[in-house]
Amino acid sequence: MKRPAAKQSAAPSLTDVVRLAEISAAASQAFSQLLDSTIVREMRDIAAHIAATKREIGRLQANDIKNVHIPAAGNELKAVTQSTEAATNTILACAEAVMATDASNPARYKALVDEKMLQIIEACAFQDMTGQRVSKVVETLQHIEARVASFAAAVRAQDAPGPASEAERERAERRRRLHIHGPQDGGAAKDGRQTEIDKMFD
Amino acid sequence: MAIDHAMPVLVVDDYSTMIRIIRNLLRQLGFENVDDASDGSAALTKMRNRRYGLVISDWNMEPMTGYELLKQVRAAPEFSRTPFIMVTAEAKTENVIAAKKAGVNNYIVKPFNAQTLKTKIETVFAA
Repeated sequence: MKRPAAKQSAAPSLTDVVRLAEISAAASQAFSQLLDSTIVREMRDIAAHIAATKREIGRLQANDIKNVHIPAAGNELKAVTQSTEAATNTILACAEAVMATDASNPARYKALVDEKMLQIIEACAFQDMTGQRVSKVVETLQHIEARVASFAAAVRAQDAPGPASEAERERAERRRRLHIHGPQDGGAAKDGRQTEIDKMFD
Repeated sequence: MAIDHAMPVLVVDDYSTMIRIIRNLLRQLGFENVDDASDGSAALTKMRNRRYGLVISDWNMEPMTGYELLKQVRAAPEFSRTPFIMVTAEAKTENVIAAKKAGVNNYIVKPFNAQTLKTKIETVFAA
């Protein structure tokens, strides 16, 4: 059998291949340089942002807040609770003693009432101390608020939606389900709340 | 209904000072037979052992709130008619509505005075 004649070859010459390789190498080098400078610029931006964030985290002084300010505020509030409780118990004890005393001997009764009234007046001195302690706690909260606000502004913080933890979510759910809100601003007497509630039972 | 001042009264609050205050006010109103519990579950335990003529309860307590106590009291046939007064700092309308729906007889907002407590007790027993 006669073999068919080979087709005329259009294959590039070695010179063509070398030339193509040179063009390709030049193009890829330019692209690489462009890519490198973009990446370097972005990496520099990221590094600067990280450095700035680290500076802001340092300024937040989170350890100082956690180890010094929060425990100190907690101790102040604990002292407030203890002193108000002690004063209340003293006042209640005085009132109970007066109410339980036989008033048939006016002179003795007056002496006891005078003594107990003096104790009540002395017990009321707790208000000055608790006022000062509460002022210190308010100062602490303002200090923390300023630091956190500065940090949030610097890092352009965006709050994640929802509760911060499962425990917080459960507490919030319990409060919602059981209608727990705590005392309202202004107190009951100030806004005549009892009168409004009374109308709901008429 | 005339008020029986000898009836046992159960005061439920997690603050011993508030229990002491209410106990003193009740004594001034003529109620000497006063018992106390520190939360709803402790109150239920006491109620199962003694028949109380009146329950005066705080709302916000742990583990069992006064609101949960109220619902359990109303759900139990043996306690369902026991007069129940809520004494609480929870002053929102939604709280009062929820308590009314659960069967509370009256509602006092803290801080309160002896006259308010007296009036509420009289109202509950006059109904």
